Amino acid sequence: MKRSPQLSVEDMVEDVSTIHSLPLFYSQLSEAIDHPRSSIGDIAKIISEDQGLTARILKLANSPLFGYFSKIDTITQAVTIIGVLQVRDLALALSVMDVFKGIPEDLVNMEQFWKHSIATGLASRVLATSQREANLERFFVAGILHDIGRLVMYVRVPDLCLELLEQCRATGTLLHRAEREKFSFDHADVGGALLKRWKIPPRVAEPVGSHHHCSRGGQYPREASILHLADIIAHAMQIGNSGEVFVPELDRDVWERLQISCYFLPTLVKQVDTTYEQAVSVLYGSDDSAR
Amino acid sequence: MAVVHIDNLAPGMVLSRNVCDRSGRLLLPAEAELTEKHFSIFRMWGVLEVEIVGETVVEDGPEIPANEEIAPELLAEARAEVERLFVYNDPQHPAIKELMRICTERRASRET
Repeated sequence: MKRSPQLSVEDMVEDVSTIHSLPLFYSQLSEAIDHPRSSIGDIAKIISEDQGLTARILKLANSPLFGYFSKIDTITQAVTIIGVLQVRDLALALSVMDVFKGIPEDLVNMEQFWKHSIATGLASRVLATSQREANLERFFVAGILHDIGRLVMYVRVPDLCLELLEQCRATGTLLHRAEREKFSFDHADVGGALLKRWKIPPRVAEPVGSHHHCSRGGQYPREASILHLADIIAHAMQIGNSGEVFVPELDRDVWERLQISCYFLPTLVKQVDTTYEQAVSVLYGSDDSAR
Repeated sequence: MAVVHIDNLAPGMVLSRNVCDRSGRLLLPAEAELTEKHFSIFRMWGVLEVEIVGETVVEDGPEIPANEEIAPELLAEARAEVERLFVYNDPQHPAIKELMRICTERRASRET
């Protein structure tokens, strides 16, 4: 197979990060959160300016997914109860889902793509819960964003991607391996690079970048491991599709490191199954069904 | 020494390793003999498996699905599909084995 050495990860994200940019809103929010003197009220005000987002954050916060006892009906409450960073992570997930639109149907079915992403997000959140991790929403977001590199590739080199997809279907190879063979990097690298450009915190960007090669180390090995396993579980459950036909290979070291009992897996699958419909309807449903 | 799921434990088994809860708190030390009371304590603290002395006394039969109402041909069909899906994974790996079992059952029960 011939390589295309002229393309690097940086080339891939170069234009995409400007054309498909995160809404101004997210950088404003991020700035407000990082500013030492901003109050919860300031942050809530910025979020409230985006009606659609406000509604979705409230819906999400009130869904059984989060299991808060009282009803959350203002953004200020949501920010106070869920936490500032968590709300930021949720806002990130919700805004990114709106950024990529208009990719041809023969390359990717966006609905299927996000369904796979949501399932991965849920699985990684459940896994993180079982590992007693703090700030669960970053796991959820990392799950939602984990295959975003694929979208970049579909936008940037649609023909090559279509070729790869067809080749994988014909020969039955793993897509991420084929990507690596053709471009010498895969969608995980691209995704990581894009998130870095968007100035997404490394605790989300880095695991996304290494979810197929967790052994590469980095600062967030646990996050990457959880994401790796969550991706496999979402594939195994066959919820949605991001282009990959098979279940990606499980890294044995990752499994060893996570120290999860096999007997936890049935519970995990069940939890993803029960929360999935709800999460999809909140994140992807109702008001934007026309998409 | 064998790792046994709590559903397959029986009173009188002897621990070969400390049982700790998820945050590492010791619940029951090695060499303790298990009684019915311990099982409910394990469940309360979210312990899923323990290591006991001796070879696997109870074969935890993951091969036989718990619910018999699934037609065997559906199950076989689902298994074939799941095996195709997991072609890049080692079916002998405990996690993959368990995941394949769950997926087979899940798939088969959805088709009925």
